[in-house]
Amino acid sequence: MSKITIEVMQPSQVKISDEYDHVIVPGSEGDFGVYEDHTPFITKMRPGILQLYKNNSVEKYAIHDGFVTVENNVVKIVCENIEKENEIDKGRAEAAKERAEKRLRSSESDIDFRRAELALKKALVRLKLQSR
Amino acid sequence: MANLRDIKNRIKSVKSTKQITNAMKMVASSKLRKAQINILNARPYADYVNEILRTLKYKNIQSQHPLLDDPREKAKKAIVVVTADKGLCGSFNTNIIRKATEYINSHPDTDIICFGKKGRDYLKKRSDNIIREYTDLFNEMNFDVSKEASEFLLDLFLKENYGKIEVLYNEFKSAIQQNVVVKQLLPVIPIESEDVSKMDFLYEPDEDTIIEELGRKYVHVDIWRIMLESSAAEQGARMTAMDSATINAAEMIEHLTLNYNRVRQSAITTEIIEIASGAEAINL
Repeated sequence: MSKITIEVMQPSQVKISDEYDHVIVPGSEGDFGVYEDHTPFITKMRPGILQLYKNNSVEKYAIHDGFVTVENNVVKIVCENIEKENEIDKGRAEAAKERAEKRLRSSESDIDFRRAELALKKALVRLKLQSR
Repeated sequence: MANLRDIKNRIKSVKSTKQITNAMKMVASSKLRKAQINILNARPYADYVNEILRTLKYKNIQSQHPLLDDPREKAKKAIVVVTADKGLCGSFNTNIIRKATEYINSHPDTDIICFGKKGRDYLKKRSDNIIREYTDLFNEMNFDVSKEASEFLLDLFLKENYGKIEVLYNEFKSAIQQNVVVKQLLPVIPIESEDVSKMDFLYEPDEDTIIEELGRKYVHVDIWRIMLESSAAEQGARMTAMDSATINAAEMIEHLTLNYNRVRQSAITTEIIEIASGAEAINL
């Protein structure tokens, strides 16, 4: 089976650089899978779960925002925050969730509301990945 | 001639100063190493954001997003002045401040954003145009802090009708060399590169959204890079300054010790003469 290369870059490091069979990426307009010979494609990501498949096993990451480009069987992702399943701090995620919910109830301005909403989404993604 | 105890005290104080400068040199060199690693780690991310933005600009010459447009000449301008929070780093801060003063004198209505305490302290007394200041940025280098600052700058540019925002900072050349440079931050100018992809991408949701988001990311990473460079340059400057301070202190100690011994010797000689002449007087 042929492979595709995944590179995930953060401002502080290159997080992943490896070959996989296929991947599922949380795009801003919906999750999409990338197999071999995908058409060149560029999109934003939304908070969600990045799934990397290799030899029938899967690695899962919580990913929060960023960009993904697909070109010549190379998937490049630039994002600020990404965490592997076992790197997630459940306590912190729960605290963040509560904080965001509280702020959603009390915030008046549009910007605060959107920020809190985003924070809540991130916390939910982390918790979802944790509880599996 | 100076008195023995005075010289001794002087030697003691120079010695302790030397210890401090030496320790600061060590700390600066280890921080410099860390800062250099940070710069290297940030590179793939920065390069890739630049590459996509470059590709998009190349393909969409007709769609002029304000982030990528030419500077609006008549609009307000702002400059970000990046200095350190601490002193004792040679001419690191003075160079920036001198350049900033020049700049402000020739463009008096430019608004100023200060990164770092040293620049703020100086410019506050001489200008009323400081609209924002960020201090204690460089202790814990953190992408979120730089992101917050860049969001503020993006808001200035996109919402408050600033036409051009520049950054004045120390570029990190090598451990012993820093250059003061002025760089245009906004509108964004992607660095020319060979790696322009000729692929026709599909965009989701649409080109404008992608360009706007990528432009923002570019500014975030640009500010982050500038902070990393400035901090590496600061540590480099401090290392050099403290190194020469240590050498000077050693030289001074040598000089003082020589002086001390000379004074001591002449005191002993005087004493011996006194004793000898006293004994002579008794024996007579």
